[in-house]
Amino acid sequence: MTDKSKEKSTEEWKPKIIAFLCNWCSYAGADLAGVSRIQYPPNIRVVRVPCTGRINPFFIIKSLAYGWDGILVSGCHPGDCHYISGNYIARRRFAILRDLMTFLGIEPERLNFTWVSAAEGERFAKIVRKTVENVKSVGPNKIFNKKW
Amino acid sequence: MMQKMISKEKISDLIKELQKEFKVFGPVKEEGVVLFKEITDAKEICLDYSNSKIPAKSVLFPMIDTLFSYKKEGKGVKIIENPPYEKTVIFGIRPCDSMVFSLFKNFFSFGKYKDPLVLNRLKNITIIGMGCLEPRTTCFCTSVNGGPFNKESVDVLITEFKDNYYLESITDKGEALIKKIKSLTDADKGDLAKIEKLQKDIESAIPVIEGLDGIYTKLDGLFDHPMWKMESQGCIGCGSCTYLCPTCHCFDVLDENKQDGSGRRIRIWDTCQFPLFTLETSGHNPRTTKLPRVRQRIFHKFNYYPKNYNIIGCVGCGRCIINCPVSSDIRNIFISVENISSKTEG
Amino acid sequence: MVINIIDDIEKSIRETAKKLLEEKKVDLIIGYTKGSIPLRSGPCFITDASQTGMLVWNQSCDLNLAKYLAKNDDRKIGIISKGCVGRAIVHLIVEKQLNKENITIIGISCEGVLNRAKIMVEIGDKEIIEANIEDNKIIIKGKDFNKTLPLQDYINQLCITCHYKIPPISDIIIGNKKPEKPPKDDFKDLNEIESKSSNDKMEYFKKELNRCIRCYACREACPMCYCSLCFIDQNKPVWFGKTADISDNFIFHMIRAFHVAGRCVSCGACSSVCPMGIDLNFITRKLEKIVKERFDFESGINLEAPPPMGTHKFDDKQEFMIEED
Ligand code: SF4
Ligand code: SF4
Ligand code: SF4
Ligand code: SF4
Ligand code: SF4
Repeated sequence: MTDKSKEKSTEEWKPKIIAFLCNWCSYAGADLAGVSRIQYPPNIRVVRVPCTGRINPFFIIKSLAYGWDGILVSGCHPGDCHYISGNYIARRRFAILRDLMTFLGIEPERLNFTWVSAAEGERFAKIVRKTVENVKSVGPNKIFNKKW
Repeated sequence: MMQKMISKEKISDLIKELQKEFKVFGPVKEEGVVLFKEITDAKEICLDYSNSKIPAKSVLFPMIDTLFSYKKEGKGVKIIENPPYEKTVIFGIRPCDSMVFSLFKNFFSFGKYKDPLVLNRLKNITIIGMGCLEPRTTCFCTSVNGGPFNKESVDVLITEFKDNYYLESITDKGEALIKKIKSLTDADKGDLAKIEKLQKDIESAIPVIEGLDGIYTKLDGLFDHPMWKMESQGCIGCGSCTYLCPTCHCFDVLDENKQDGSGRRIRIWDTCQFPLFTLETSGHNPRTTKLPRVRQRIFHKFNYYPKNYNIIGCVGCGRCIINCPVSSDIRNIFISVENISSKTEG
Repeated sequence: MVINIIDDIEKSIRETAKKLLEEKKVDLIIGYTKGSIPLRSGPCFITDASQTGMLVWNQSCDLNLAKYLAKNDDRKIGIISKGCVGRAIVHLIVEKQLNKENITIIGISCEGVLNRAKIMVEIGDKEIIEANIEDNKIIIKGKDFNKTLPLQDYINQLCITCHYKIPPISDIIIGNKKPEKPPKDDFKDLNEIESKSSNDKMEYFKKELNRCIRCYACREACPMCYCSLCFIDQNKPVWFGKTADISDNFIFHMIRAFHVAGRCVSCGACSSVCPMGIDLNFITRKLEKIVKERFDFESGINLEAPPPMGTHKFDDKQEFMIEED
């Protein structure tokens, strides 16, 4: 870490992060951050989903296979799900997925889950910053590069 | 025919000499599994093996085979052909597995369609086979027109004897090859007779198995026989028996793309034991259960093959017996066929 | 002596099966029979009481016979069930994939099965002509070699930690009705991998899964993989690659593992059928640990407990969520 050149190269490298945001809260939260002109790093690309419960783990794994460096999944806080329990189901799913992927050697820093409500524009910006920081700490994703 | 020899210790010299002119493939042990790979370091080669887990067909017909690659250029697409196939030697292949090369020649040039990839490779491959000193109890090559020292489909046959390997050229290609190799010496004439006897002894010790005689015609009337229900009930429908069978050659063609606009068209192994194999675009699947799939494997090898090419589609390597997770034994099917047809005749 | 118990069990299995068939309590018995090579067994399907002599019971009975049960099968079936076969049946009932009415569970008290892949690595490429178990030793004979291996070192790891040697529910029990339970499972066997760095873990699994030829024996042998169309076979659209390239293999095994999380009954069938000798049970053990620690759930034990992925709690742990800092 004290190595100057290393520090520099991670600074230059811009991770690509795919964010799956729930329509009812985090997506609106992101919107609010935008309208309120809160600055956050431009590394994320947003996919709007109806609910975190809609997120098939395939989306996450396929994104990594396609070379995205990190994932952000954000939904409604516990108790606030538009569909009552979608986020609870998703929470269990991601807990297992994250544990399993970590065990298999995929850096957990790439897999970021959180809750952001529609009113939390500020929080959304901070979460994005944190996610970018996490992903930067593990470097580019070359896990599923095919050799040819 | 030419007879030469080399002491076992010097085998890497031989490999190194071959490598000057050829790409050399040979048996290598990786993580406890013997398979055929390009030999980069002559020391890697593992000749003390019974037979490879993955058959040597993988050299001619790799698990992933690139047909061509492509790259987006401006508005068009540029097709990139494969580099030319280099001259190749397959070293140490068992005579049963090498039979497959002539089988594939038939299959990949049947009728109107010629497979340029495989046929071109075949032209460039020289086969140095190695006789089996210790056939396994599951081997039945002698019952399907083969043998542990079968010379039919090799260019050179090696027999291990005492501290030496004896090389016998079978084809002109083989003779030309061993003539050139400096590390070989002339065979010890005194040993040759002993070797011949050894080969005969080993060959005759392999039991001839029941039910294979004329199985082609016997199967003809058995397509709808209830025996297939019995034979297929334990099958779980995996691909072990067919992927690891040296004569199975089915494939699927697919495209792979990268994010940078390049891609390739590949073919990968496929098998009749999978439901997707026969799924048609309309959604109809003519083989919906395990029964027709199990029957297909047997009919293809022992009925359609003899009909189409006049050869048996099995070389008797026994891999399907060893690897089947539910211990389904192809030899028992021969016996069932035999019993049923003798009953109906009598 | 172990061998006698096993012999007795085998005898009672045959007698029980015979009786059930004769009394027409079942139409079919699904059990194990001798395989065609040493250390192998196969399934057998017996409808005739005179054939019950085919049934065997030994330490190579490693398949999970629950795989052969189906919801739409209206025959009355008697199934020889070691603990994990019974667990699979229970979990399949919980997932509404089986009806209990038609199934007679003939529970067997199981002492664990052998890890054949480990034995094969020890023997090398030589052919095993005969293998016997005597006095807690595995005695192996080949053409020109003999080898004796200590039994306990070659018992499947999943069997060593197994707490359910007899099925959680059964209609008949053969053998020890109150088998000893091993000490509380602390998942120590996972420590070695868990303590590695991400990079080393990845290296380890890539090395292991590189051999996979995608024959899908693991999936086909797994009682929990009953989907009529597996995700890997979906082609409208194609989700993941079907080639035997390591990146595709890794994804296949990762997702298959994820799909059996909270459902896997730790039978080890997926590993023991693998023709390439790949040990998938490191992964399934981890799943067992995850659901045990997170949701205090064990699959196939309780007909009333909902599977962890089908339920939730308001206060499920969420320590992994990222927070602004
Ligand atoms: S059918 Fe079986 S014995 Fe025959 S060639 Fe194939 S794997 Fe070998
Ligand atoms: S290997 Fe055995 S179980 Fe698998 S498809 Fe072949 S016969 Fe069936
Ligand atoms: S994943 Fe393996 S150990 Fe788990 S239930 Fe399936 S076959 Fe058994
Ligand atoms: S891996 Fe998943 S989709 Fe495939 S059969 Fe198993 S549970 Fe079904
Ligand atoms: S059984 Fe083994 S080789 Fe076959 S798909 Fe599963 S892990 Fe791969």
